[in-house]
Amino acid sequence: MSLLAIRDLEIRFRDGAEERLLIDRVSLELKKGEILGLVGESGSGKSLLCRAVMGLLPSRKLSVTKGHVSLAGRDITRLPEREMLDIRGRRIGMIFQNPTSHLDPVMRIGDQIAEGLCRHRGLPRAAAREEAVTILRQVGFTDPPRQARMYAHEFSGGMRQRAMIAVALACDPDILIADEPTTALDVTIQAQILRQLAELRESRGLSIILITHDLGVVAQTCDRIAVMRDGRIVEEGEKRRLLAAPQHPYTQALIASHPSLPHEEAVGDPYQPHSRPLIEIDDLEVSFPAGGSPWARRRFKAVDGVSLRIGRGETVGIVGESGSGKSTLARTLLGLQPVTSGHVAFDGSVLTLERARTLARLRREAAMVFQDPFNALNPRLTVGETLAEVLRVQGKVPRAAIPARVNELLDMVGLDRGFAGRRPRSLSGGQCQRAGIARALAVDPTLIVADECVAALDVTIQAQIVELFRTLVAAQGLTLLFIAHDLAIVRSLCERVVVMQHGRVVEDGPSAEVFARPSHPYPAALIAAIPSIDPDQPLAAAMPDPRSQTQQEGLLT
Amino acid sequence: MHRYRFVLFRPLQFLPVLFGISVITFVLVRLIPGDPARILLGTRATPTALARIRAQYGLDEPMWAQYLYFLKNLASGEMGRSTLYKIDVLPLIATRIEPTLALVTMGVLLSLAIAVPFAAISARRQGRAADQAVRVVSTLGIGFPPFWLGLVLILLFSVTLGWLPVSGYGETLGEKISHLILPGLTVALSLSAVLTRSLRAGMIAGIHSDVATAARARGLSENAVFWRHVVPNALVPTVNLLAVNIGWLIGGTVGVESVFALPGMGQLLVRGIFSRDYMVVQGVAMTFAVATVLVNFLADIVTVALDPRVKL
Repeated sequence: MSLLAIRDLEIRFRDGAEERLLIDRVSLELKKGEILGLVGESGSGKSLLCRAVMGLLPSRKLSVTKGHVSLAGRDITRLPEREMLDIRGRRIGMIFQNPTSHLDPVMRIGDQIAEGLCRHRGLPRAAAREEAVTILRQVGFTDPPRQARMYAHEFSGGMRQRAMIAVALACDPDILIADEPTTALDVTIQAQILRQLAELRESRGLSIILITHDLGVVAQTCDRIAVMRDGRIVEEGEKRRLLAAPQHPYTQALIASHPSLPHEEAVGDPYQPHSRPLIEIDDLEVSFPAGGSPWARRRFKAVDGVSLRIGRGETVGIVGESGSGKSTLARTLLGLQPVTSGHVAFDGSVLTLERARTLARLRREAAMVFQDPFNALNPRLTVGETLAEVLRVQGKVPRAAIPARVNELLDMVGLDRGFAGRRPRSLSGGQCQRAGIARALAVDPTLIVADECVAALDVTIQAQIVELFRTLVAAQGLTLLFIAHDLAIVRSLCERVVVMQHGRVVEDGPSAEVFARPSHPYPAALIAAIPSIDPDQPLAAAMPDPRSQTQQEGLLT
Repeated sequence: MHRYRFVLFRPLQFLPVLFGISVITFVLVRLIPGDPARILLGTRATPTALARIRAQYGLDEPMWAQYLYFLKNLASGEMGRSTLYKIDVLPLIATRIEPTLALVTMGVLLSLAIAVPFAAISARRQGRAADQAVRVVSTLGIGFPPFWLGLVLILLFSVTLGWLPVSGYGETLGEKISHLILPGLTVALSLSAVLTRSLRAGMIAGIHSDVATAARARGLSENAVFWRHVVPNALVPTVNLLAVNIGWLIGGTVGVESVFALPGMGQLLVRGIFSRDYMVVQGVAMTFAVATVLVNFLADIVTVALDPRVKL
């Protein structure tokens, strides 16, 4: 008998007369000790389904209208809240995509673990605190007695997710629902967390539902896969069978758009220097104040001695994990971040020497595309107004020609002209990012800096945006600086890769070469940690990074 | 304990602030039309008498020289001599500071006692009758001027019901407290309206936050989620709002003190202004400024204690 069984579950949204079917007759089973991958893009209903299992639908307007959920043979679909409380945390634990926002910032980690122990096992406070230390050790904390007394913000992202796992597993539940647990993490950290989950399954006989949009993650960890779309399970089956012979066209499309698949070689010939580089960076150092007393200010070096030359028309990917200094480097290059020492020059104008003149040139010749496409657009302006504003300020196009130019820009990024009259709120993530790219193009730039601009998008949308960049670069002769933590995307888009770690460039070379024969252990580890869609190609051991756990602490002490 | 290191250094930053305030109040007071000597002696005073008073209080010297005297006095712990009361300003303020301090404290405590439960009721029943009622009441609280509220309270509790004294301050602690309840409530009714709104907004955000979802997912009851996770997080921004309002309150006690005839700083300030008693006005203004700076300092300490992420 399966541990958890979902039968013909229907969830509807009702608001007055409006009614929508969000989950449509979903049936799923989870056996003891099994890891089930639930795959789908945002809005497919995978998170909602799991919330329904927990009895935690996010709004009163949502309700289970049909079907049932049973846990070890007992129907828990319509249990009274009081009985549901004994199931949450005790029988089913849950971890979330963003540990930073799901951990209480003003409560010590140990106390958040102890809370569940007091609630479900009736432990006295002191005993629960001691138990919390033991649990932290089990999920890979190195100094749990001290770390139990720390707060979420004092940990790195990976350690926060481990803490979240510790909180969820405190009362030894039978099932763990993991909702995109590694989406916000760097690849090497992701590999560590996935391994942790697999270990917990072995040691505790834990059953796991792993929600993700990344088929690579599923291929590496799960036993079975269920693919969701528009509130339905479109395909379900054993991992190898499903990946090798997908039946449903949507599953086939998902697999085809997975960036880890070597369906195309690394692009382009390596750049041949033919003239003066567009960007010259010499021994650049950028540091931030990081506390300390007024007479002994500490500084944190975000960029530490970087020298780089980027030629006209090059597409360069800057890769590195969070905190490696890649975004700071880009912001400094655009004059958005003061230089601590060293030199930055844009097309011969040295930013550090003639700041005003270089800035004026940068504003006219360089543009940036941001990570969060929605928040980077002014919510009060329509897309057309946003574009027109840039055109007016730049003054490169005569006023009368602005509306026509706006249409041209929309055509370029593949948005219907009707979008000119719409505001960001009514656009999807991918459409917002297209608008963001159109805004960058409105400058008529020679250089575009794209900072993690596809990280927040679904895979199929990611693939479309990357394709858009590829056409734009080819058609307009743009120089593109593409910052990403996802190596697979960089490989398919950029002819040259620069790998950064701890503020330094550790590898720089043509993509094909770097990916085939990385000369430095760090890029090698990064490449190995990408979860491959091929289940037989195991997740390589992620290089242990002594700084990852104490990164934040180092800043504080 | 490095997070609390600012407690040692922050007071150094007070010095320039206080210096600036002293210059501004000094100049502003002297811009008020009217001659203090003439107000003191009346319209029929002789020119020689006027000149003698002016010389006695240094009013015949240029303004910068007067300011230097003022600074010199301040350095030796004095604030000059009141032309009206004929005694030193500092001991005068010392006798008046207690009722004002007690009034503000009472007002803040009562307003918290009102705001926290009201906000909690309102946030947890968002959109329902109780929530609507709290919102209407707090809008009214902001709308009614304190002096009018004070009069209504006197009519109700002192004149009609006879439960509490009409005005004055009293001698013993018990008397003082019973005299402070109505003025404290007057202050609290408008202050709690502002606090309730901020707390309610913070609590509603908290109830729908990821932190609360995660807490529910580990089996905590709705009550535990609210009091252990939602409230502590909602208090942080409210502390700063409270600090800003206390600063405003300290200067704003003038009206409430007049209505309830409390012998506090506000009353002293009003009389000082009418009699062009420069030294008293300056002294009171400086005291208000110091109090406001201290309250904000205190709020910083509380914020750091409540939120481990804050570093100052």
